[in-house]
Amino acid sequence: MDFSYPPEVEQVRKELRAWLAANLNDDVVAAGRRRGRDDASFQTLRTWNSTMADAGWAAVSWPQEYGGRGATVLEQLVYAEETTRARVPVALNVIGMNNIAPAIMQYGTEAQKRTLLPRMMRADDIWCQGMSEPEAGSDLASLRTRALRDGDHFVVNGQKIWTSLGYRADWCQLYVRTDPDAPKHKGISCLIVDMSLPGIEVRPLVTLSGEADFAEVFFNDVRVPADALLGPVNGGWQIATTTLSHERAGAARLYTEMQVRLADLVADLADARIDNRPVLEDAITLRRLGQIALRIKYLEVLCQRSISAILHGGDAFGSASLAKTIWGEVGQDIAALAFDLLGSHAEGRRWADYRLTSRSLTIAGGTTQINKNITAQRVLGLPRS
Amino acid sequence: MNLELSDEQIALRDTVRSFLSEKASIAGHVRPMLDDPTGTTEAVWRGLADLGTTGLLVPSEYDGAGMTMVEAGIVAEELGAGLYPGPWLSSAVTAVRALTRFGVDSSAAAPLFAGIANGSSIVTVGPLDGVRPTAVEARDGVLLRGAIEKIWDVAAADVLLVLADEPDGTGLFAVKTSTPGIEAPSQTGIDQTRKEFRVTLDDTPTRRLAAAPPEAVEALVDDVVIAWAADALGAARAVLNLAVEYAKVRRQFGQPIGAFQAVQHLCVDMYETVELARSGVIHALWAADATDRAERHLAAMRAKAFAGQLASVADNAIQVFGGIGYTWEHDAHLYLKRLLSWNGFLGGPDRYLVDVGAKFAESVLH
Repeated sequence: MDFSYPPEVEQVRKELRAWLAANLNDDVVAAGRRRGRDDASFQTLRTWNSTMADAGWAAVSWPQEYGGRGATVLEQLVYAEETTRARVPVALNVIGMNNIAPAIMQYGTEAQKRTLLPRMMRADDIWCQGMSEPEAGSDLASLRTRALRDGDHFVVNGQKIWTSLGYRADWCQLYVRTDPDAPKHKGISCLIVDMSLPGIEVRPLVTLSGEADFAEVFFNDVRVPADALLGPVNGGWQIATTTLSHERAGAARLYTEMQVRLADLVADLADARIDNRPVLEDAITLRRLGQIALRIKYLEVLCQRSISAILHGGDAFGSASLAKTIWGEVGQDIAALAFDLLGSHAEGRRWADYRLTSRSLTIAGGTTQINKNITAQRVLGLPRS
Repeated sequence: MNLELSDEQIALRDTVRSFLSEKASIAGHVRPMLDDPTGTTEAVWRGLADLGTTGLLVPSEYDGAGMTMVEAGIVAEELGAGLYPGPWLSSAVTAVRALTRFGVDSSAAAPLFAGIANGSSIVTVGPLDGVRPTAVEARDGVLLRGAIEKIWDVAAADVLLVLADEPDGTGLFAVKTSTPGIEAPSQTGIDQTRKEFRVTLDDTPTRRLAAAPPEAVEALVDDVVIAWAADALGAARAVLNLAVEYAKVRRQFGQPIGAFQAVQHLCVDMYETVELARSGVIHALWAADATDRAERHLAAMRAKAFAGQLASVADNAIQVFGGIGYTWEHDAHLYLKRLLSWNGFLGGPDRYLVDVGAKFAESVLH
């Protein structure tokens, strides 16, 4: 039983810290908070992503031949901890780098790998993923967007929703139905689609916070060249569900993100008062803070357990899926505490905004309820309902 | 970074687990011991000693196993899972760690360590909080005067290690339980697997073993809290498993109740709580011997702060069992009571949650 990291990993931490101290500035951090919603912050993030890529810090988990560092699991963990603690903005192409790139590395042609990957890493191209549809949310395999083969093209018709960066994207990894007669998991293919093709219409999807953080993407007789196919025809479900990602320490972001958020909240509460006393001396506030800090610490250890399992051949599944659920609940608890204490207007409405956007933490990437069904059946062995 | 159990640790766990199921099962041993003030039989205690569990924390220079709190926690978790009602936590953890944490002289410590390790002696320690008895210098030695409001396993023990106030601080004193003038009425609460007593000392002759400075007392209390947390984890794990297995076989409306999502989600919530507790416990067990004072103490406070939520596992298990879980005959209530006594041990969770919150705020602002 040992929670400490080996010295060679601490060395990577030191190098990264030094590089961040020299290169990361407040403008970049602020642009990260705005998540590139406006053009100015988007441009700042794009430049920052290329700066990181050129220094070899953009995609540390990628193999070296594609511009990564082939980082070990513990190096990835330290990378996630340090970048999150330093408030490094999440890469614009985070979905691309973690989920799309590994599929391109495994299934793509040489031409696809050489042209697409370096530009993705530098954020020269922006990537989106076309998965969810209005009638295919948690039940992704029931997607309906059709692609019909017509000579050396596919003709695509349908609609995608919840597409992050849809309105900025140059490329889309699109999941389409190519065999409507096959069982639903066996008729799906994956295409790499140029978003400038005629017939693609992108509409902003305004969320409950009033921001267009997602898009709806409509495909009307879009003619996609046949060589846009990634992997085998009707082999798309495999690509969508197999964890091809080289990123193994993503769990570290879960607890570090919440540590950082709670620390930011405490800093914002430092001067706040309740009944003319400092809020941080109020027992009820401290109890709520303690409840959250406790869960974050236990979440941290839960994540470390899943990483230890990856390293030493234990079972990572149970702790990893719990970690996602707990992360979402902790985020919502922080948001509620912040809003209860600070109200609507504090810190440029940052906490009010988080009070709203934190609802997505238990929805995006699989709702907590579906996650619990999976845990009940796969981990506890309860019968299917 | 390696949080897996070693092969030796797995062997230790499995040995204790099979010993308990064969020689100290709930039906065969725990229930008959519910009204017994010692909570143990000679045979079961001897068995635990022969397995090496009573001497595992005894330092190797005293011919003990010289193991760490991680191994003690592995044993404690199994004992909690089996609702073990005897004095193991008092003798094998609290007493051994008291002798170690207070640096008792080898001449005094050696025979105590030897007796604890081979099972011939059972030692308990108190009080761990609240008002302490006073040590008074008399003509022919030191006398202890006053009461210990709460102390565990006195009826099973042959030696009490007493934390008592003396003119310049606190000291650790040894008293044989057979000494005339010691009154020790049973105070066992709802958890009949924890034998609790109130002890009055009426100028009882004693022997001073060592000074007990505040940092060492804090360290000892942390050790005990962390070991109890491992015991509670075992109890919660066991009652969760019972409930999940029941949900797979109990049929209503033509299907196993475990096929209902409402029951599934209740079970997953319990599982989540148990796994969070396991995370806290393994970190605390490691921290007890491997980190600095601040980290160890915070780990112990967190464990106490989580005790209330952990007890909810048994509450929810009873909900899964339904009516049968509400009966005396079923074991679920024994687990609930074990977890409630952990919840109440050294005070309920609220003040620990406040402490954890204050510590977090302090770490950000300083």
